[in-house]
Amino acid sequence: MSEQISALMDDEIAVEDAEHLIASIHTSRQASQTWHQYHLIGDAMRGDVALGAGFKQKLMQKIEQEPTVLAPSASKVVSGAKTEALKDKLPASWSIAASFAAVMVVGWLALQQQSQPNPSATLEVAKATTTSESIPNEYLMAHQSLAPSTSSYYIQSVNYSE
Amino acid sequence: MISSSRVFLAKPLAGITLFVLCVTSFAGHAATDDELWVMLQKAAVAARALSYEGVFVCQTGQQAKAVQITHLFDGRNEFSRNVVLDGASREVLSQGSNLVIYNAKNEKIVIEKKRGQNMFPAMLPLNFDAIKENYTVHLSTHERVADRQAQILFLEPKDRLRYSYKFWIDDEYGLLLKSVRFNQRSEIIESIGFNRVSLLNSVALDWFTPRIDSKKNYVMADEPVILPDGKLSVTWEIKELPAGYRKVDQIVRMVPGKPYPVMHMIFSDGLASVSLFIEPTNKSGKTKVALASSGYTSFYAGVNNGYLVTAVGEVPEATVVQIANAVVIGK
Repeated sequence: MSEQISALMDDEIAVEDAEHLIASIHTSRQASQTWHQYHLIGDAMRGDVALGAGFKQKLMQKIEQEPTVLAPSASKVVSGAKTEALKDKLPASWSIAASFAAVMVVGWLALQQQSQPNPSATLEVAKATTTSESIPNEYLMAHQSLAPSTSSYYIQSVNYSE
Repeated sequence: MISSSRVFLAKPLAGITLFVLCVTSFAGHAATDDELWVMLQKAAVAARALSYEGVFVCQTGQQAKAVQITHLFDGRNEFSRNVVLDGASREVLSQGSNLVIYNAKNEKIVIEKKRGQNMFPAMLPLNFDAIKENYTVHLSTHERVADRQAQILFLEPKDRLRYSYKFWIDDEYGLLLKSVRFNQRSEIIESIGFNRVSLLNSVALDWFTPRIDSKKNYVMADEPVILPDGKLSVTWEIKELPAGYRKVDQIVRMVPGKPYPVMHMIFSDGLASVSLFIEPTNKSGKTKVALASSGYTSFYAGVNNGYLVTAVGEVPEATVVQIANAVVIGK
């Protein structure tokens, strides 16, 4: 079912051939959720400045369901017309390619669910540089951030080991 | 009708699999150098164009980690998920060269975005021009790796400015099964190889998601702060680079722990990378010439006409020294 919905969004299934699909999106809760999720992922794929209006609304709903969560500060919502214009520029494969954005969205939602933003957290990463290595950590980190070696993807560089 | 999109995706995948199978079917006869390069190039393609899952072990210096990999090519896009199985939890998800790392650190999960090109087993680049200039290739014996028959190839540097490699390539699929890197004393400095691997039969993507632990805090890692080029008021020239190394990237950036912008350049010989940093010298006068190496990473820092020039990379010490000394600071 989700593959078909994806295909419909990709224009791989003509709208006139998809009556049963559209009907099931209306009647099946799961199908309708999938439809909305795919659009949500698509919204995220269009970049940070072009999150759809529905994205924020749904996120707020989700956050409201969380007991102890503070609402995130209001972000700029781009008008629907601009979103549509962006959508036209996207390649046909974007809803398949949206999976990576989904991975980011999952992480982003996890970020939002924290009871309080912790600005000192990222600073701690940079400060935690106690090491007995003779190579200065800041240069090793800078090097790995732009030109990672194969093993550095799997084995944490010294800056993360405390 | 129902599986139309599945069929659509599966066709090119099957085509590429067949293609890889045909090309790598020659065994260890008196192969010419060209045939050996083709074998390596096919390994580079197979790692990206095949769909597979398995467990490999990555070992450097004192550390070894087992990693579970799932890799899918659906005919258009490449997806992979790498779960580190030992020690602190760490997941690397990638689509094409876009990478996101979920990295457990104490009670937090740090989310890091990166660009990546050389993850195992896709550690060989698609373009071999630079590698052919700087390395020679030799055919060796057959060996069994991860319950599969593999052909061993050696990649030897033409000079002492880079390390050598030993590759195990699957007889049937052409996939890189294992890679070992040696220093100049022929000691193993890095080893990455499958324990088991099998091809995927499904194009489903349900596995392409990180495991979220609701009890943990998630934070974004600091991204490198990149500045416009004019932020660094120094002119320089790069003269007489070590043979085979070319500049592949250049940015002005902030480096954690440094209050001022730093020029950061990347040089590569096709396999190994070296970073070069140019920055104003520390006024406290603590800066001195330093040469260090740890595992396979070498480091060199020296003062050049009032500027601190630093080189670091997965290369022999002589290479970082030569790259740092290639810098000529102007006014």
